[in-house]
Amino acid sequence: MLGFFRIIKFAFQDMARNMSLSFMTVLILVLMLLSMNTLVVVRALTSQAITSVKNQIDVSIFFDHEVSDADVEEVRAYVDSFPEVTGIQYKSRDIVLEEFRNIHASNPDILASLDELGENPLGPTMIVKTREPSDYQKIITALTVPEYETLIEAKTFADTEKAIDRIGAVTNQVEKAVFVLSGLFAIIAFFVIFNTIRVAIYTQRREITIKKLVGATNWFVRGPYVVEAFIFSVISVCITAVVIFFAAGLLDPYIAVIFGEDRFLTQYFSSHIMVIAGLQFLGVLILTIATSGLAMRRYLRT
Amino acid sequence: MIKLKGVTKRYTRDSVGVNDVDLHVDAGEFVSIVGQSGSGKTTLIKLLIAEERPSHGKIEIGGWDITRIHHKDIPLLRRQIGVIFQDFKLLDKKTVGENVAFALQVAGAPRNRIQDVVPRVLDIVGLSHKMDSYPGQLSGGEQQRVAIARSLVHRPKILVADEPTGNLDTINAHEIIEILKKINDFGTTIVLVTHDKDIVNHLRKRVVTLHEGEVVVDKHKGKYQL
Repeated sequence: MLGFFRIIKFAFQDMARNMSLSFMTVLILVLMLLSMNTLVVVRALTSQAITSVKNQIDVSIFFDHEVSDADVEEVRAYVDSFPEVTGIQYKSRDIVLEEFRNIHASNPDILASLDELGENPLGPTMIVKTREPSDYQKIITALTVPEYETLIEAKTFADTEKAIDRIGAVTNQVEKAVFVLSGLFAIIAFFVIFNTIRVAIYTQRREITIKKLVGATNWFVRGPYVVEAFIFSVISVCITAVVIFFAAGLLDPYIAVIFGEDRFLTQYFSSHIMVIAGLQFLGVLILTIATSGLAMRRYLRT
Repeated sequence: MIKLKGVTKRYTRDSVGVNDVDLHVDAGEFVSIVGQSGSGKTTLIKLLIAEERPSHGKIEIGGWDITRIHHKDIPLLRRQIGVIFQDFKLLDKKTVGENVAFALQVAGAPRNRIQDVVPRVLDIVGLSHKMDSYPGQLSGGEQQRVAIARSLVHRPKILVADEPTGNLDTINAHEIIEILKKINDFGTTIVLVTHDKDIVNHLRKRVVTLHEGEVVVDKHKGKYQL
């Protein structure tokens, strides 16, 4: 126990007496963590953008104007039974007519034609949303059966099918690109941290050798570096978190313009902070301890 | 106290540190080991503190066979042998007091013992007033005296000195030798590696001469001769 407390004491003493080295180590760790968090932001924004685009896509089912409420209810229940369906919006004939009039309010010829008919020529509409754009085809196929042919006048999916496919392909590519980019950044961060710690140990190789020569065990020599790695990890993750929240606050107004959500990044980091900070802390800690252990190994052979 | 029997240290096929060395040093002896550069003096020291392992032969320190010493036992050996080096090997970021205390701390000595021993050994080498100075603030002679103080904290039965006066002027060199003689008078075995002719001749103690890794001269009350 006495040795343990001495190791902690030596760790703090080393950090204080090698202030510039400690500062540079923390700075490098913070810069690397900020790079990683930039990717977290990119991933969050990409994911939000993809979700927004997917939310724009739906399938509109236009019923025949003579369809009965019971038939509409049957189709609705049938569509709702699919687990892929996330929402169904029903528009009655009157609402559809009102929207039609609003859309064409500036076209007196169309409005005059409607008045000429004397009755509502439009049927009710059902707007269906699914989890993934690829699920729409399944709904369309399910509705393309003889018993519903007379009830359903049109389905808009056929018109947007290509666009949906394209969006699907683009989002897949974007997700892949972000994944690859994350991997690349992780590799760069690994090598930068690896070399930073190696240099830090290299500058103290003489001290390590001397400690061994006066009878210190490997554990006694290594211990302070492990404690220092822990402290550096805590400090760098904390500083990064503060910088990230500050930057998120600055970026949020600009992001709100795009997604219409106030404080999107701040809320994203608030709800994910334990996972993000926890994983980054563990990553940095394991990396610094493993690297210092590897870098020190040759000097401990003295 | 120290027994080397047929000790050879071969680094590569063509590079031999010491070759078939037989050497017995009794308790309380003061032995000077001399020889030209590359004669194997430093290799001999490294073998004694288990920094190197012999290729052949047997080494015993105080009855302990360290020929194939286990890695985890090396710290224990080094706490029993005091060692001082030409370049002092002090920790620059620790004060004089902390440097000396460190040798006790690694051995798990309690705080009150450290507080008792450190000022006493610094007093022996005349540096108790420099307790809070850093090595960089001391002269070469003072730094070597700190190293000696550090080597004494475990009251070692053997003190190995590898060219301790190599970086010092004549006055400081003689001061260091006087301290070593004083330590020897208290019964500690001293193994001094040096190439300083004046010091060896002045000591009038046992002299072992190495040449190309082999013991070529071993004389009690000898003189420096190559």
